[in-house]
Amino acid sequence: MSDAKPPDANGRIPPEALAELRASVRALRGELERRFGIPDTSPPARAEVDEGEVDPAEADVPFTAPAFEPTAGWFEGLGRRLRARFEDVDVVKLYEALRERVSIPGAADVSAEVDEFGLDERYLSRARGWLDWLFDRWWRVEVSGVELIPEAPRLLFVANTAGILPWDALMVAHAVERLHPSGRRPRPLVADWLATLPFSQSRLARIGAVRACAENAERLLLGDQWVIAFPEGQKGALKPFRERYRLQRFARGGFVPLAARLQAAIVPVAVVGSEELYPILFEPRVLRRLVGVPVPITPTFPLLGPLGIIPLPSQWRIRFGEPIWFDEVPPERAADPLYVNRTREQVRGAIQALLEEELPRRRSIFSAR
Amino acid sequence: MSARRARRSVGPGTTLAITGLGTFTGAQIAERLLERDAPARIVALDLRLPRRLEGRVRFHRVDLTEPTADSLVAEILEKERCDTVLHAAFFTDPYPDLEYAHELEVVGSLHMMNAAAAAGVRKLVVTSSAQVYGPHPDNPNFLSEDHALRPQRAAHALRDRAEVESLLRIFAQRHRAMVVTSLRPCWIVGPDYASAVTRRFDASRVVTLLGYDPLLQFLHETDWLDAVELALERDAPGPFNLAGDGVLPLSTLLRLAGKRSLPLPHPLLYRAAYLDAVARSGDSPEAFFDYLRFLWVVDTRRARAELGFEPVYTTHEAWMSFVVSRKLRGYR
Repeated sequence: MSDAKPPDANGRIPPEALAELRASVRALRGELERRFGIPDTSPPARAEVDEGEVDPAEADVPFTAPAFEPTAGWFEGLGRRLRARFEDVDVVKLYEALRERVSIPGAADVSAEVDEFGLDERYLSRARGWLDWLFDRWWRVEVSGVELIPEAPRLLFVANTAGILPWDALMVAHAVERLHPSGRRPRPLVADWLATLPFSQSRLARIGAVRACAENAERLLLGDQWVIAFPEGQKGALKPFRERYRLQRFARGGFVPLAARLQAAIVPVAVVGSEELYPILFEPRVLRRLVGVPVPITPTFPLLGPLGIIPLPSQWRIRFGEPIWFDEVPPERAADPLYVNRTREQVRGAIQALLEEELPRRRSIFSAR
Repeated sequence: MSARRARRSVGPGTTLAITGLGTFTGAQIAERLLERDAPARIVALDLRLPRRLEGRVRFHRVDLTEPTADSLVAEILEKERCDTVLHAAFFTDPYPDLEYAHELEVVGSLHMMNAAAAAGVRKLVVTSSAQVYGPHPDNPNFLSEDHALRPQRAAHALRDRAEVESLLRIFAQRHRAMVVTSLRPCWIVGPDYASAVTRRFDASRVVTLLGYDPLLQFLHETDWLDAVELALERDAPGPFNLAGDGVLPLSTLLRLAGKRSLPLPHPLLYRAAYLDAVARSGDSPEAFFDYLRFLWVVDTRRARAELGFEPVYTTHEAWMSFVVSRKLRGYR
């Protein structure tokens, strides 16, 4: 190779040097085949071409593996085109923009102080964008009767419930905060078995939900907060689809003596739409005993796995009713079981009546009009 | 601190008996009372006396697990004319020898109660724990003193404490003339306090349970000692929850401390750490880790109203004091 001529001005190797190179490679290959007994597998046509003297025109064409040509075409072309299209895209910037748009609160959005029930203002303000999106786009909530909500220091909202995850609680709280002139955000009371599920309770607590029990409700009301209760409880959350919008029994109705004792007005709330989020076909007792928590079977859960948790985009209507006042109720009456039972049924009837009024107003479950 | 001025039970001319001088609480309270201008006489009842206290207190060797400990203690209390008893002879951490722990904590406490009644002691203060309420998903956010004590089946130390509490309640009903106080602090932290809990949080990487982030409270060690002193000075019968102000989620506490968490799924952790936990504490891992899973936040309103308990450190400050002291020591 020492006597190889240098490339000319165009950077081309002179043809005689190339011929020399090919000859030496052929000689080397013949030597190797002779020594190691490797049979010559090169196609004969190619060999023939190689045998002949190299003409200058062919010498210009760089060597390519002919076997790969047909498959490499569209795939590599696509890759090249995609690369050209997205060459100037900054992945980090794109991610930041996506986070800004979707605004799902993450670990960085946690403040160092929470209130006594775990509400984190910073986390909540981050979550608001996301709640807004659910409210406006996903469920297109129509709210009526907000003008009936009084400006009282203590209020107890009582609503119908459905579904395993407390979306209805979040949406009612969001509706009041957005549409009521006071801008107060009521604290929803959510089912206690959510605390046994991982990932749910800590997030719910940060956006203001509190475990439903008499002690918590009393402490919240004493602190002059607005509270949302769902007296149907688990029975409501797990009711089968065929019983939608039929209020279940109001358990012990502990909310009535509480409201009467603390002079908190009860506002009945009807939520239409929430009962189609997770149409529960059935809820086998065997599974509940096996897992320890209720496992409802819906058309999407557990069939689609985690995707089954995504609630269906039904169209919602939230209607607030006339408040029930306890100003003239003497304290000893608040403890009277008969009075409590009667008031409880009165509240239940009010919510059921609101539901009956609202249900025919929507034409379809999923579209607005 | 008007409460500090009203020294009635532990001043000059009075005698205080302390059990469990080997514990942080017993030793520190003895030191604090001896450092006062006009200290009360202190009678120490224990297996052995810490060297720091030698010659400063009257020491009697007492083994509370002996079957006749009650009459022995009654004799000493009568002879020394003790008016107040601080019973702190409890294991700080769950002790792996279940039988001995039960003998000391439950039977030993029973001996102390009977001896105090026989000797006509005016006041009995017992150090308990807020952990006796147990971590449960159906706990209210703030547990009051009237709430049922539901320690987990797995936690033998807390079952024993709960038994002591119920014995104490019955005892107080029978001996209405005596002031019987039990103090239920949540997790105590601080520069000097060391327990299995603080050792867990000492690590730079703290094992947590995947998907669970409970609200926690902490009590600073000086607030705890102040509360014990208050209970000795003031006549406030009944149980008292003690905790710093405010609650913080576990994840926030770890972020504040600059510690990383190692979240593990609890079914895995409970199985993997079983043997280790049994060897250390005699309990399966849920005895500790359920406290990082469910709520057990206590309401301190009663201690504020009746005991005059005013914690200087909030939960946040107590935690930071703990973390900073450990970092200065180079533990991390």
